[in-house]
Amino acid sequence: MDIDTRVKVALYRAIADSGNVPTAEEVGDRVRASSATVRECYRRLRARRLLWLEADDATIRMAPPFSAVPTQHQVTVDGITYFANCAWDALGIPAALHRPGTVLSRCEQSLEPLRLRVGNDGPEACSWLFHCLVPAAKWWQDLVFT
Amino acid sequence: MLFFRSEERIAEWCKSRGLDPRPVVRMDQLWHLAVTWYGSRLEAESRRPAPGEMRGIFEGLGLEGDFWDPTTDTFG
Repeated sequence: MDIDTRVKVALYRAIADSGNVPTAEEVGDRVRASSATVRECYRRLRARRLLWLEADDATIRMAPPFSAVPTQHQVTVDGITYFANCAWDALGIPAALHRPGTVLSRCEQSLEPLRLRVGNDGPEACSWLFHCLVPAAKWWQDLVFT
Repeated sequence: MLFFRSEERIAEWCKSRGLDPRPVVRMDQLWHLAVTWYGSRLEAESRRPAPGEMRGIFEGLGLEGDFWDPTTDTFG
């Protein structure tokens, strides 16, 4: 397994275990690499559109579907709370973990709360909708806005 | 990428911002996208779908047209 893959797997497993995005040092401990090497991997993973980094080109903002910062999309799985980057990613967290969970979010217009139970086969019956303003061709131009 | 209670709430939200509403996605369609994108994300061999694959995935869900076509993406 190459170093980029080792870093990716270690990063995602650390998030899955705790709900928090680990530091580059913590990931480095898991893969026996320096934090500088881990950050180089982050940049290559960003180029493959597997991570979104902050403007410093080193700090993880998004390891989709997980968010490194609190958002309005909160997902609880097996007692661990995660933040999702968007509505799509809110369903992506139970999908990634292959575990049932509960999504807490809201209607962006009315602010009505959404509490959605998601099983291994998908969400419970729900008439709520997903809306995306940005065309697919432009999603990664500014993933935070998207 | 946001949740809304109904198409009416989407229309209100867009109108208040002077924006045109985009195609909506049902929750069952969104689950399919979530599983396709992230079902193997914690595994070593996982990868993001390529643009051509994405278009096929969207078309399979009835999400067609320029809005869902990523193949003009020149980012990076």
